Amino acid sequence: MSSLFHTLTISRQDILSRLIDLDVVSNNMANMNTAGFKASRSNFQELLHQRTLEGVTLASTQGLMFQGALKNSANPLDWAIQGDGFFQVRLPDGTTGYTRDGQFLLDANRQLVTASGFRLIWNGQIPDGTIDVNILPDGSVQASLQNGQRVIAGQVPLARFVNPGGLINHGNNVWLISDASGAAQVGAPGSGNFGVVAAHAVEQSNVDLSTEMTRLMSLQRAFQMSVRTFQQTDTMIAQALNLRKG
Amino acid sequence: MIKGMYSAVSAMIMNAARQQVLAHNVANMETPGFKQALSVAQDWLRTPVLYSPGNLLQNRQLDYVGLLGLGSQVSEQTTDFTQGGLQVTQNPLDFAIEGEGFFRVRTPEGDRYTRDGRFLRDAQNNLVTVDGNFVLNEGGQPIRLPDGALAITPNGTLMVNGAQVARLGLARFADPQAELERSEGNLYTGPAQSTATGEVRVVQGALEMSNANPTQLMTQLVEVGRAYEAALKMVQNQDELLGKTIASLGRIG
Repeated sequence: MSSLFHTLTISRQDILSRLIDLDVVSNNMANMNTAGFKASRSNFQELLHQRTLEGVTLASTQGLMFQGALKNSANPLDWAIQGDGFFQVRLPDGTTGYTRDGQFLLDANRQLVTASGFRLIWNGQIPDGTIDVNILPDGSVQASLQNGQRVIAGQVPLARFVNPGGLINHGNNVWLISDASGAAQVGAPGSGNFGVVAAHAVEQSNVDLSTEMTRLMSLQRAFQMSVRTFQQTDTMIAQALNLRKG
Repeated sequence: MIKGMYSAVSAMIMNAARQQVLAHNVANMETPGFKQALSVAQDWLRTPVLYSPGNLLQNRQLDYVGLLGLGSQVSEQTTDFTQGGLQVTQNPLDFAIEGEGFFRVRTPEGDRYTRDGRFLRDAQNNLVTVDGNFVLNEGGQPIRLPDGALAITPNGTLMVNGAQVARLGLARFADPQAELERSEGNLYTGPAQSTATGEVRVVQGALEMSNANPTQLMTQLVEVGRAYEAALKMVQNQDELLGKTIASLGRIG
């Protein structure tokens, strides 16, 4: 037995789901030019309760972790990963964050930091008097000193995950591990499935504008239909309430 | 008179039930692998109508006139299993079935079938659905994938780094409408074994979209809205007639 009020709830849930999806699409579009950004999608799922139709629900949001295109850069501290790995950074609260955004800066303490000021986790230090830095595909950082010498300053390890799509977005282009992602496996670039590091390169956002635009358009239409269904159910209820005229 | 009123009301109730099914289909217009629910209107009870030609006390004979319908109802809900359109996602863990067949999935409540091919690796490297249910192989066991890029052949053989790992468990049914029953989360319960043979074609990097068609849904929505209104008008008409009968019948002068 169904009730029109229950039908209203189905449409309400539907409208709310579309709004969440709109947030996801907007966030993707807003980060079209964010280096190392990964698009995400919302996974909707049919909702049923003991064979009663209940509409739709949000099962999960999923990061789409495929590779973004690499763009050349003049900055020697712009490093990009080609493959599955992530750079590890130390967050202010001491936990480890993971990022694909390899546009590093040298702070006042000669530490490599991200644009948000999170320190890169690696086993070296950029020596005093360094005039140029180069990173090799295996993550070794080569520093060219003023006296013309070249030294290996250290190696940048990468982390990878069984299910990178399950990482939690922490903001600032940083992800955190979750039960779904699995524990981080840390290793040297070039080994296993960690991928390699490219020097003088920035990984561009993997958001595809045409995909997102199409998504936005169909989303808008779906939203209109949901609202239309809601309104009609409302009209039906109003008619039933006014059944007895005069 | 009262009979007519109740049959009109039954039409209102039936259309309210159809509205619920429509709202559900509209809500899942963008759910991959969703198969729209169908509600079929059917006439409800019929009662024989008898007529006595003269005075009932003197003449006990009743003539059979015919059957009178007492309204309508939604007969059992069915599922439209027609193919939905394929949408390319380029996500290596998105799969779509072209043509007949279902993926096999293990939930805590038992094994299920689905057309929804949004799969993930869980933290233990198992192939799972977006709800975390195991995707099963040919032998009905969960699939554990080694690290590396996943590829699939059209017949469902999973390859990682060029090596064969497992074959997706795929089931075919001779009559999915009769054999499968809708269950939570895009899944269907059904017989433990395929009831039809043949190859199932799997496509990687694409999803089968919902087979709920917006144009069809919009027209159905209009139809249901109007049918409900018409039934409601019939109730009001009957009420009016009844009112008139009570007020004026038997009045003298």
